[in-house]
Amino acid sequence: MASLAVGTAARPASPAHGPGHDRGHGPADDGPPLVEGRKSLADVTATVVSPLERRPRPVWYAGLAVSLVLLGVGAASVWHLLATGIGVWGLNKTVGWAFDITNFVFWVGIGHAGTLISAILLLFRQRWRTSINRAAEAMTIFAVCCAGLFPLLHMGRPWFAYWVFPYPNTRGSLWPNFRSPLLWDVFAIGTYLTISALFWFSGLLPDFATLRDRAKGRLPRSLYGALSLGWRGTTKQWQRHEALSLLLAGLATPLVLSVHSVVSFDFATSVIPGWHATIFPPYFVAGAVFSGFGMVLTLLLVARKAMGLEAFITKGHVDRMCKVLLSMACIVGLAYATELFVAWWSGNPYEQFAFLNRAFGPFGWAYAIMVGCNVLVPQLLWSKRVRANLLVVFVLSLLVNVGMWFERFVIIVTSLHRDYLPSSWADYAPTLPEVGLFLGSFGLFFTLFLLFCRFVPVVAMAEVKATLVHEQGGAHGTGGAS
Amino acid sequence: MTPRPPRWSSAEERDALARAAATGEPSRPPAAEEPVPAGLSRRGFLAAVGFSAGALAACARAPERVTAAPGEAPEHAPSGGARWFSTTCGACPAGCGLLVKTKDGRPIKVEGNPAHPVSRGGVCAVGQASVLSLYDSRRLRSPRVDGRDTDLAAADAAVRKAVASGGAVRVLTATVTSPSTRAAVARWLAGVPDGRHVEVDPLSASAALAAHEAAFGVRALPRVRLERAEAVLAVDCDVLGTWVSPVEHTRGWAAARDLGAPTPRLSWHGQAESVLTLSGSNADRRVRVSPGNVPALVAHLVHRVAQRTGGAAPSPADPCPVAEDFVEDSVRRLVEHKGRSVLLCGTNDLDVQRLVLLANERLGAYGGVLDLAAPSLQRRGDDAAWAALLDELDAGKVATLVVAGVNPVVELPAGRRFAAAAAKVPVRVVVAERPDETVALATVAVPAPHFLEAFDDAEPVAGVVSLSQPTVQPLVRARTLRACVAAWTGAPEPDLDLVRAHFEREVAPKQAADASPGRAFRRALRDGFVETAPAAPAAPVLRGDAVPATAPRAKPPAAGRLVVALFPSVALLDGRHAWNPWLQELPDPVTKQTWGNAACIAPETAAALSAKDGDVLRLSGDDGTAIELPAVVVPGTARGTVGVALGHGRLGTERFERVGPRWLEARPTTGRDGRVGTDASAFLALVGGLARPSGAEVRVERTGATDVVARTQTWSSLTMPTATAPHGGERRDPVRETTLAAWKADPRAGNPAAHHGPGLWEGLRAAGPRWGLVVDLTKCTGCSACVVACQAENNVPVVGRDEVARGRDMAWLRVDRYFADVEGAPGEVEVVHQPLPCQHCGNAPCEVVCPVLATSHSEDGRNEQTYNRCVGTRYCANNCPYKVRRFNWFGYGSHDTWADLVLNPDVTVRERGVMEKCSFCVQRVSEARAEARREGRALADGDVRTACQQSCPAGALVFGDVTDATSAAARAAKDPRRYRVLEELNVDPAVSYLVKVRERPLDGAPKEGPHHG
Repeated sequence: MASLAVGTAARPASPAHGPGHDRGHGPADDGPPLVEGRKSLADVTATVVSPLERRPRPVWYAGLAVSLVLLGVGAASVWHLLATGIGVWGLNKTVGWAFDITNFVFWVGIGHAGTLISAILLLFRQRWRTSINRAAEAMTIFAVCCAGLFPLLHMGRPWFAYWVFPYPNTRGSLWPNFRSPLLWDVFAIGTYLTISALFWFSGLLPDFATLRDRAKGRLPRSLYGALSLGWRGTTKQWQRHEALSLLLAGLATPLVLSVHSVVSFDFATSVIPGWHATIFPPYFVAGAVFSGFGMVLTLLLVARKAMGLEAFITKGHVDRMCKVLLSMACIVGLAYATELFVAWWSGNPYEQFAFLNRAFGPFGWAYAIMVGCNVLVPQLLWSKRVRANLLVVFVLSLLVNVGMWFERFVIIVTSLHRDYLPSSWADYAPTLPEVGLFLGSFGLFFTLFLLFCRFVPVVAMAEVKATLVHEQGGAHGTGGAS
Repeated sequence: MTPRPPRWSSAEERDALARAAATGEPSRPPAAEEPVPAGLSRRGFLAAVGFSAGALAACARAPERVTAAPGEAPEHAPSGGARWFSTTCGACPAGCGLLVKTKDGRPIKVEGNPAHPVSRGGVCAVGQASVLSLYDSRRLRSPRVDGRDTDLAAADAAVRKAVASGGAVRVLTATVTSPSTRAAVARWLAGVPDGRHVEVDPLSASAALAAHEAAFGVRALPRVRLERAEAVLAVDCDVLGTWVSPVEHTRGWAAARDLGAPTPRLSWHGQAESVLTLSGSNADRRVRVSPGNVPALVAHLVHRVAQRTGGAAPSPADPCPVAEDFVEDSVRRLVEHKGRSVLLCGTNDLDVQRLVLLANERLGAYGGVLDLAAPSLQRRGDDAAWAALLDELDAGKVATLVVAGVNPVVELPAGRRFAAAAAKVPVRVVVAERPDETVALATVAVPAPHFLEAFDDAEPVAGVVSLSQPTVQPLVRARTLRACVAAWTGAPEPDLDLVRAHFEREVAPKQAADASPGRAFRRALRDGFVETAPAAPAAPVLRGDAVPATAPRAKPPAAGRLVVALFPSVALLDGRHAWNPWLQELPDPVTKQTWGNAACIAPETAAALSAKDGDVLRLSGDDGTAIELPAVVVPGTARGTVGVALGHGRLGTERFERVGPRWLEARPTTGRDGRVGTDASAFLALVGGLARPSGAEVRVERTGATDVVARTQTWSSLTMPTATAPHGGERRDPVRETTLAAWKADPRAGNPAAHHGPGLWEGLRAAGPRWGLVVDLTKCTGCSACVVACQAENNVPVVGRDEVARGRDMAWLRVDRYFADVEGAPGEVEVVHQPLPCQHCGNAPCEVVCPVLATSHSEDGRNEQTYNRCVGTRYCANNCPYKVRRFNWFGYGSHDTWADLVLNPDVTVRERGVMEKCSFCVQRVSEARAEARREGRALADGDVRTACQQSCPAGALVFGDVTDATSAAARAAKDPRRYRVLEELNVDPAVSYLVKVRERPLDGAPKEGPHHG
């Protein structure tokens, strides 16, 4: 009985359950259908779960192999770093941060889209989000994990990293410095990771239950059983689940703004020209959303193809995400222009020099990549034909990621390398262990993501079904209604 | 870098070494010659030495006081406390007075002896670093005869046998400033059939000595008293950096340029030179002149001086090689200040020196700025004697050759000829500290003691006898030349007896008669020096025939050739300190290069060769000598000149290959030939019986290779690069300058008031002392003594060439150096130096950003770094507008148990991964505070002297409590010239600077268009 498989996990499909239940329901959408091919609820389960239940395709193994190699490179780099010292990076007395914090901000930025899609789009009732939110949230968590590596490893003595936590100790008590933006980072990122993980996991409960019910072996059944925390799909459970989702969404929404605002304080509160700017918080948030959507697009375009999820992640989804991307590109472009304008308008020669040096100095090439990839190239998205061409969109999303990486690099390195006293000006070039760690962070990210694709439903089945029921007016509701 | 375990020759000695290793005491074999009973401790040794001195003087006072510095009461010195000894610096013949700080029986720091008449409290970078050479684990540790380690008795036997077998005996030394050594050598040579003592200086002043001998009958250099000068013109003479007695000159120079004095003075300083030197970088006006044109320039200068003073001088035969107005302006000033002006020239050319002497005579310099009544004895070398010795060696006429205090193979002209000819000498005895190129030729090698290990005396200037005493029991079986020749004479005596006997015989009688000779010696040891009445109270008079008939001619190089100008570097001098890693890592004050030398070429030369910094150039002479070294473009270098620093590429620098950290991309500190830098001594020629450091003609070409030039500063201009400068250009003003004329009109000239916005931090500062440092940029020469002083005091590690090249030098105190073009004089350059330690900001940007509170503000206004709290985020360094913070990128431990003995036990050795920076010598502040508390009084001004301040030869640094209006620092800070770097950021730095005032080229002179000859 199909309904058993679907029905246990799927929420009661009737929209009549009240507004509190219509997670993902929004105003009527005039766009193309969010789920194509008139799927039944059972079809949804079958399609989403099938990659988990069959042996992985060779392409998955190939991807995992590449990721593990990268992860190995990263591990070797970390070993060399920990055994020898921060000197194995190309930093110097003038440029104290470069690849490390660039990568940190880059990964935190990538982690932004998940919460945005999960929380803000939920609150704004954007139903199209249901197909992609699971993957986006997973991406968020993995990206934040990658991001967390860098502040930890960039410390001269990472074995004392716990000193940044405010815990009672025998030294006085000696508390951390609550004035330091780095400490704010610890709290902001910590909170963000916690909420994102909770949000992701609570959303997974019904789907884990589905997997538990479908599991054939004892091990998967007990594993998924444990992960589903005894989910039975009762009305009470659904009610509480809905309430929790909304609560977490409400908690997560300010985080979307706060995380990157706080990260930007690392720079904005400093005295270094090029860092010391009040525009940084909104500028960084926009940049983070931009890079996050770029990465979501990159990943989903691959996953959609590789896992046969074309029906769920439709061209309509891609089109919408492209529009978000375009609007963010414009905001980021405006921020760049504002920075230049303020530098000129301020009359502060240090500030003016910092930006001229950014554009025309030794790292002018990086600035050109940043502006080209983040502002100029995305303007192609004004064209519907471009948005509909998935290959072009894929390349474009990659370029956005490249551009956003360089944005952080440009902000960090060009501001530091030539600051106030010309005697201390220096150049910077990364070393092999530095590049190795960067590659390693990609290895970690993709390893986690590939494992996620293999063991966790990539699409939030329960939510898609709700969308389906809404779109098809319940007429096709063979499963969940009973 | 791990040295071999110390040798032992008996079970007792082995056990003693093991005990020493366990307790961290220096591992030392007992001295073979000094009268020390076996097993005696250092303290006991000193007591014995003191007692013997005291007993001879029939004096009942505590014997240890004999070797203590003034003002110290050793009986109260607790274990772990510092003990101070007066001594004389032996790092070069200048003979500066030192106070040596010892902790737990080991010298850890040298400071200037403020009472010393030569150095008056100053110590140069080389002197500061010399304490590290004591703990050089690669020193010659035991005598060698025919390549085998042996004992002193065997070495003595070998020498005595050689001398007894007849034949000529020659003793070759650099200038011996020690009168007792001179006497001992003379005594020995008097007893051998054909003995002669040849003194030759690696940095020779032979021609000047000869000129003075001819003119005055005195073979000595006049003592240069720059404090008396109102106008100084130095031609080819690095008077402040390396010439004869730099600390003494710098003290005098700064005294004559003191705008904060009750009667402000600013003597004028002009400089003409081929390679930009420290002196040239400090001149009011500097022109470049190629080495071949120096004679012509001097001829013009002297001719005009003679014209204006009504004397005779030969007419110049060549056109004036520099801007006409420079000559005119300089001569006008020199003549205007007749009696208080001087022309200094370092060119080793007799014709030139005779002219210079003539000009100085006309200018009334003798008896004024130049003191010939009590002359300098710091240079006595005779190049002609060296030439004669080489001929004798070539002819195989020398049976026994003793070399001490000089490394002729690479330091003296025609060193390669010496190396070949020395093989014809049957017995070659070398007394040296290190197994250098000359020791490699020796049949008998005797280790010389470091100057901190032995009794010694010196008479650097007539009438000043400066004494040295051991501050530690000798670390190796060493013996001075004096003790050697005494032993060879057949009267072996320890140095103490020899020095004291000479003192009591020669010096004590010249002193006031109130003391017995023994007491006088004891007091002299304690004070470090005695002054005696000069032998010749009146200045010698000029003999008649002093005016040369013809002027010396310019010597232009052949077409297509460039001229090599060899110069001593401020750090390594002639190379005698090439084994000292502190000095190897000391940035050259001009090029800022560390760990090696370079071909310094003018921008025009670089353009002609299409060479840029780091391109390897091949310099090949017509005689087949060729060297390769990287180019460094130095503005202000004469056209057609290649400046190369001496003293590099030395044997033994191979050990620095792994001086830095080891990691994936690490590159060695040594070059392709395995040594640090390139030895250019092949171009050091002996021409007409005189050393000629500059003048070798070479072809120069690029090899196509590039080499690492490790510089601590890569951007040298205060003007922003045009491509990135804001509209209208931008010039930054960390260094503020003005002209003398403007300063006279307005003492605030060049010092616009900083704009202060509203602050968030006002009123948050605790009341109480606030330490501050005031740096007078008008006095500071950039000599970098403070840099090494800081390194020695604060255990700053050495990181190696690769790390410096990667921008990771660790200096807590750096000296920023900026070049600027001279308006209207293309090719000329102006230079400013700025010592920059941590500014100890009141509103420190570093303090707010540290997540773990590892950097905080002390109640006395210092910015503190707590090493063991630091987790190493480097956020503080990023947020430092002055970029003074230094990060331990690796663990920089030396792994050399000898070198580690120099570490200051009062200062933490920092671990890998933590940030560090200038602490305003917090250990000195704490010590002074504790001392004041113990004595029940408040801290007085001057109780705390930072390491950088203590030995600054120019007295440019003043440290103190700026909230105490009576302190020297507070008074200095009241100067209208005072400003603070980046004050507009409202970080409230505690370090302030006084505007650099220079007499601009045409200040107060009739305006003339500049032209170039």
